[in-house]
Amino acid sequence: MFHWLEKHPFFFAVGVFLVISFAGLIEVVPSFADKSRPVIGTKPYSTLELAGRHVYIKNSCNACHSQLIRPFKSETDRYGHYSLSGEYAYDRPFLWGSKRTGPDLHRVGNYRTTDWHENHMLNPPSVVAGSIMPAYPWMFTNKANVDTAYAEQLTIAQFFSVPYNKAVPMKDGSTKVVKMGSTLADAHALALAEAKVIAADMKNQDVKDAVAAGNIPEIVALIAYLNSLK
Amino acid sequence: MNKLYLAGIIAASLLLLGTYLSVGTSEGGLNGDIVNQLAVLGAVFIVLIAIFVVVKYVRQMQTDTADGKLADESWDGIGEYKNELPMGWAVAFFSLMVWGSWYMTLGYPVNAYSQIGEYNEDTVAHNEKFATKYSDISGDRLIEMGESVFLAECKVCHGINADGIDGKAANLNKRISVESVKHQVLNGSNNFLLGSEMAMPDRNGLFNMNSGELISDAEIDAVSAYVANGMSGAGADVFAGACASCHGDDGKGMEFVAPNIVAFTPELVANVVTYGKKGAIGRMPNLGDRLNAKQKEAVGAYITSLSK
Amino acid sequence: MENRPLEYDYTVAKMFMFATIALGIVGMLVGVILAFELAFPGVNTILGSGVAEYTNFSRLRPLHTDAIIFGFTLSGIFATWYYVGQRVLKVSMAESGLLMFLGKLHFWLYLVIVASVVVTLLAGITTSKEYAEFEWPIDIAVVIVWVVWGMSIFGLIGIRREKSLYISMWYYIATFLGIAMLYVFNNMEIPTILGTNGIGESGFGDWWHSVSMYAGANDAMVQWWYGHNAVAFGLTVPIVAMIYYFLPKESGQAIYSYKLSLLSFWGLMFVYIWAGGHHLIYSTIPDWVQTMASVFSVILILPSWGSAINMLLTMKGEWQQVASSPLIKFMVLGSTFYMFSTLEGPIQAIKSVNAIAHFTDWIVGHVHDGTLGWVGFMIMASLFHMAPRVFKREIYSKSLMATQFWIQTLGVVLYFTSMWIAGITQGMMWRAHDEFGNLAYSFIDTVTVLHPYYTIRAVGGTLYLVGFLLFSYNIYKTMSARPVEESELQNASPMGA
Ligand code: HEC
Ligand code: HEC
Ligand code: HEC
Ligand code: HEM
Ligand code: HEM
Ligand SMILES: [Ca+2]
Ligand SMILES: [Ca+2]
Ligand SMILES: [Cu+2]
Repeated sequence: MFHWLEKHPFFFAVGVFLVISFAGLIEVVPSFADKSRPVIGTKPYSTLELAGRHVYIKNSCNACHSQLIRPFKSETDRYGHYSLSGEYAYDRPFLWGSKRTGPDLHRVGNYRTTDWHENHMLNPPSVVAGSIMPAYPWMFTNKANVDTAYAEQLTIAQFFSVPYNKAVPMKDGSTKVVKMGSTLADAHALALAEAKVIAADMKNQDVKDAVAAGNIPEIVALIAYLNSLK
Repeated sequence: MNKLYLAGIIAASLLLLGTYLSVGTSEGGLNGDIVNQLAVLGAVFIVLIAIFVVVKYVRQMQTDTADGKLADESWDGIGEYKNELPMGWAVAFFSLMVWGSWYMTLGYPVNAYSQIGEYNEDTVAHNEKFATKYSDISGDRLIEMGESVFLAECKVCHGINADGIDGKAANLNKRISVESVKHQVLNGSNNFLLGSEMAMPDRNGLFNMNSGELISDAEIDAVSAYVANGMSGAGADVFAGACASCHGDDGKGMEFVAPNIVAFTPELVANVVTYGKKGAIGRMPNLGDRLNAKQKEAVGAYITSLSK
Repeated sequence: MENRPLEYDYTVAKMFMFATIALGIVGMLVGVILAFELAFPGVNTILGSGVAEYTNFSRLRPLHTDAIIFGFTLSGIFATWYYVGQRVLKVSMAESGLLMFLGKLHFWLYLVIVASVVVTLLAGITTSKEYAEFEWPIDIAVVIVWVVWGMSIFGLIGIRREKSLYISMWYYIATFLGIAMLYVFNNMEIPTILGTNGIGESGFGDWWHSVSMYAGANDAMVQWWYGHNAVAFGLTVPIVAMIYYFLPKESGQAIYSYKLSLLSFWGLMFVYIWAGGHHLIYSTIPDWVQTMASVFSVILILPSWGSAINMLLTMKGEWQQVASSPLIKFMVLGSTFYMFSTLEGPIQAIKSVNAIAHFTDWIVGHVHDGTLGWVGFMIMASLFHMAPRVFKREIYSKSLMATQFWIQTLGVVLYFTSMWIAGITQGMMWRAHDEFGNLAYSFIDTVTVLHPYYTIRAVGGTLYLVGFLLFSYNIYKTMSARPVEESELQNASPMGA
């Protein structure tokens, strides 16, 4: 049979294709459906958080940081409760990472703060002696891309029914509504309102001035995102 | 002995020695942790099998000769022998497939293993083991334990010497700085320092009983310096008039009323760790879920010991 | 007429050879920079803090992996395909105007993609998925190039004289099919310009931005089904295609066993795909998927080793060739490193070992055992074999080649030993609790201990890069400095002193 296949390239190719696609189906498909439901307490990203997530991706923070706490005592001691599938229901793309040059960040919002991030992102070794993380000073001047974040919100609401402007159940029994702008201007206003809360906790005068003037530097969006990781 | 075997043995020993040294001197170490032991065993296997196999095939290149029946075809001058499968390889492949089928169907079929279940067991075992070890430690041992918590959890913000890294977080070698006192007096304080919702009013609620008026800017400066200096220097009268009613004449605080502001106490530190704090410098996160009661007690004892 | 040797046309092969060398230099140089950045973070601002946005570790890392995999390796695959394909099918590209056109189109389109990848990655345009960073416009271009390559493969097969497909052909065909399938499914994404708000407006923000069709754990599963098999069909299968041609060709030996070739090929095809879950061990995907991946990873040793053993046995009794030809040394050591990484990988796929190894430099070490010792060595060896035939000149210098071999071997050894130690040390420190049951180390303690190993790795990487520069120089001199060889070259490649 194999000799025959080797003389008939078309059937050879079909054979190879069948063999390699079969396993893929079994590997990926069965667990698809039940892994995508959000757990209680998981809510969609706000406009500013999503813009911050884009800053995170743009700078490949995931090259050094994971967002996946494995179920080991040593990891839950260091990073908090182990991760659950449902917590990632609104993560497109997922950001689990594959290398921990720096620590896991899946729950960093629980134990680091706005002002700490501000110091750290500007110059990591100034807070953590011996840190090898690069500094990201340009984030303090680059503007966050709210337009794209808004476009993404619209897209995921439309194609994947992500519940914006809907009540989402929280762990304490209450509900929360994550708002999405009805127009672009509205989206900017929402993002700015969030940015003001972050900027209030920051020290950098240029950043504060920018936000006061209605501009959102990347660092503000990034911190909003990092604080949302809980 | 053949040079090749010698080289193989030397290479294996070097790699194993390297692994041994790195594990031995690595601060994690084998540590009685089964995962560590298996990982090292895996590393050892990689070295041994790889070297054994290389030696085997190089030997064959050195001493054996190629033979067998050639197939009729030849591609761009490349021929093919019709040799049988190498026995060891065929047997190993077959056995592994049998083993794999067994493993997935009978050994550990679909839901036979739960990593979360394993985690729960490990955690219970871990907690029991250590709870008995530290449940009744006190004094210097407690401080030592507190230091270990501090170095793992707190030093990223407060610095290895707890000096707050140039004002990026509170300097814990000293009870409080002028700026912080001033900030609290100007803005009040509502940080659960007593473990309950007991706020200190801001300057618009602080009367200086000596003058019968709201506390003034000059008085605030004076009293801030006085408190930050460990209750000495000018400003004692302001303190007596505006603050002592809550914080006590000596500033050591009163239960359920106001915290000690001349010295850290383990309770105060535990409350800061549990509820977080927002002040002149910035925000300290609440680390309540990350530490158990004993760890909080310990780190409290450690911080308290720093400024003694 | 029938008896005259065919005049093969190497125009396209030559173009891809140049691309291989150029992109190899870029990719490895960036790798060396990355290695130094981790050892000495000051290097992040090497060109000044003004451009640090583009030269810091996080921006450059995807550039390294993509330049080296989709630049260097893929060009090498194409270069060898346009060389080997004609020869084992016994047809010349010159015989078909269409195939020549497709070949050149393939090359130029490919270059356009490479250029846009470099620009977009430096600009921070990425979807973040490892080895699938490109945004949708580039994805579409990739699919087009792939189709062009497919037409050129099957076009050449269509007009072949040699009816039966040689082993290398099996592997090239599998490469084509495998990557096609993987790439398409992992890159299912929706451009966000489609997002429409309540009053019908759309087209906000960056037009090239997209959002993945899959979310969270599902996205992870698809990504590592892809990622793992991209390794299979990008860094393994096509490289096996190379060794099955170039080793017997260069040494003049016949393949040890057809049966072994056959079983390893179909075994590899069947087993590889199942193992993708080993990148997600102890993650939130179902336990049984993880178990299945571990089991198949262990089984995978055998079909992988089958090819390597077949190659080593092909050299049975030929030690004098190994000893005297640096070109053959590259290939023999290459298959050895292949065996090494396909033993190391499965062991790292065992759950308890992965608990330590995952997220650490031990994985990075494993990666580079395979890529430096196997992929890099085989591509360079292939180009060395092709050069005298393509340029009709003997290789410029054999001693330079030997020097290169030893420098790079030392480089690889330094790379993997240092990462091995770094990874195990870090993995253990993360797990360690002290006598009180508290974490023994804060994270930064587990970073600073790695400094010496990072330095050694950077040195090892530099040696490898130096070796690659020697290689480039040797090929350049071959093209330009040696006298033209008139006779048809048979096995062992002619080399100058
Ligand atoms: C070269 C690798 C590297 C890159 C790239 C990197 N980091 Fe880090 N990061 C580290 C290291 C190492 C640490 C630990 C030392 C420290 O805290 O600085 C760290 C620590 C952190 C922490 C503190 C977490 C904690 O638990 O203490 C945060 C938050 C963080 N990084 C965010 C980011 C963000 C956001 C980016 C991208 C914009 C990024 N990092 C890019 C290496 C990196
Ligand atoms: C009405 C009672 C009251 C008066 C009067 C008062 N305090 Fe307080 N003070 C408190 C309470 C209650 C807290 C703890 C608040 C909290 O939980 O954040 C506190 C907290 C503080 C702190 C913060 C300690 C820390 O570690 O952050 C400082 C400093 C302080 N007081 C100084 C003063 C000074 C100086 C005065 C006088 C000018 C004063 N207080 C007057 C009740 C009082
Ligand atoms: C993310 C950073 C961060 C971490 C982690 C952190 N702290 Fe703090 N901490 C701060 C900052 C910032 C302040 C100053 C708040 C202020 O008063 O403005 C502070 C204040 C404090 C204070 C209060 C000092 C006072 O005068 O009231 C104590 C006590 C303290 N920290 C103890 C700890 C301990 C113990 C840990 C670890 C278990 C810890 N901190 C971890 C940032 C941090
Ligand atoms: C039998 C064959 C192999 C098996 C079973 C295997 C297994 C593994 C495992 C378990 C990981 C680590 C996953 C993690 O914990 O993060 C890994 C990573 C990796 N391997 Fe292999 N490996 C094999 C062969 C190879 C070869 C030959 C190469 C390259 C030529 C290679 C390249 C890689 C790469 C690039 C990664 C990193 C993926 C990432 O970005 O995280 N592997 N492999
Ligand atoms: C001069 C030689 C090279 C050097 C110095 C080098 C260096 C590096 C460094 C420093 C990293 C980042 C590791 C980390 O994040 O900690 C890396 C990653 C990587 N390199 Fe290289 N590299 C070299 C050659 C290659 C080659 C030839 C290939 C492939 C053919 C390759 C493929 C990869 C891959 C796939 C990764 C990602 C690994 C992962 O995510 O686990 N590298 N390299
Ligand atoms: Ca990776
Ligand atoms: Ca894509
Ligand atoms: Cu893999």
